[in-house]
Amino acid sequence: MAYSDKVVEHYNNPRNVGSLPKEDPNVGTGLVGAPECGDVMKLQMKINPETQVIEEAKFKTFGCGSAIASSSLATEWVKGKTVEEALSIKNTDIVRELSLPPVKIHCSVLAEDAIKAAIGDWKKKHGIEVPVAEKVAH
Amino acid sequence: MSMPATSKTNAPAQDYFAIFGLPRKLWMERDALEQKYLQLSWKLHPDNFVNATEEERERSLRRSSELNDAYRTLEDPVARVEYLLSLENMRKEGEHKQQAPPELLEEVFELNESLDELREAKSAGSDLASLKSRLESAEKNFGEKLGEVDAQLQVTAREWDDALDRNADDVARRKIMGRLNELLNRRSYVRNLVVNVAKELGEA
Ligand code: FES
Repeated sequence: MAYSDKVVEHYNNPRNVGSLPKEDPNVGTGLVGAPECGDVMKLQMKINPETQVIEEAKFKTFGCGSAIASSSLATEWVKGKTVEEALSIKNTDIVRELSLPPVKIHCSVLAEDAIKAAIGDWKKKHGIEVPVAEKVAH
Repeated sequence: MSMPATSKTNAPAQDYFAIFGLPRKLWMERDALEQKYLQLSWKLHPDNFVNATEEERERSLRRSSELNDAYRTLEDPVARVEYLLSLENMRKEGEHKQQAPPELLEEVFELNESLDELREAKSAGSDLASLKSRLESAEKNFGEKLGEVDAQLQVTAREWDDALDRNADDVARRKIMGRLNELLNRRSYVRNLVVNVAKELGEA
């Protein structure tokens, strides 16, 4: 499969690979998987409880190049955004940015799900209600 | 030339079970399926359509390619389950995605991480013999897990057939299909690990 330049670029130089302490109350962890292919993705963010700004984001993905690029891009995008802003990131934005072909759309869905799951986890730690629609959007 | 009464030109394609004249059961006799496949293929063989109209010939071609798809799907026990679930609208790829239970994802993630460590150890040039034995034990471990999933899949498939036999209600059927679906998901994660570890071993 031919990957777009942007995918290759993220794949070769993935940003923000790693992990954050899961137990930290300010860290939200999202662990999601794609049953289509069996790939898994973990995305973590450190969120400032006062400002709700995402100060740090890390990921680790066991999956295809598109999944790695999608999660790498997702960590870049969420950094510096507020929780609400980050929640508005759609998988279609990722598809567009990385020029993913139709068969690779589920890889970008994985990244969107991971953002939502990480924020959901953080909200849960802070006793914030997670609206049903936000929990699993797919 | 007059069209046969049951012209299928506009009829919706038959589902794979119906093509073979089978109920939607998961247990199948392999040989019987093959026999039936050969019979049906023979009926659709182009030699039988030498004097047929263009339309009939096209239809027979279409049907024989359908038949091939049907056989390939039903012949494979896992693909058969997948197909049944999509037929019953229980497995829609993409739009209706099923998130696996967190414990499973966690387990898969950890297994992937252990595989990753082995990979790193390899590129760091650690002792190949010990690495190989670790990879082999990982392979055995994943292989066993895959075997477990397949065994569970078989048991649950039998439950499905039983449910059809005793004409179980929709709720009961959906419950079984839900479990089949979960097992298929689990299988896809585990299979991925098996493939990856085999790849590492091939290169070790
Ligand atoms: S192929 Fe499954 S995440 Fe990309």
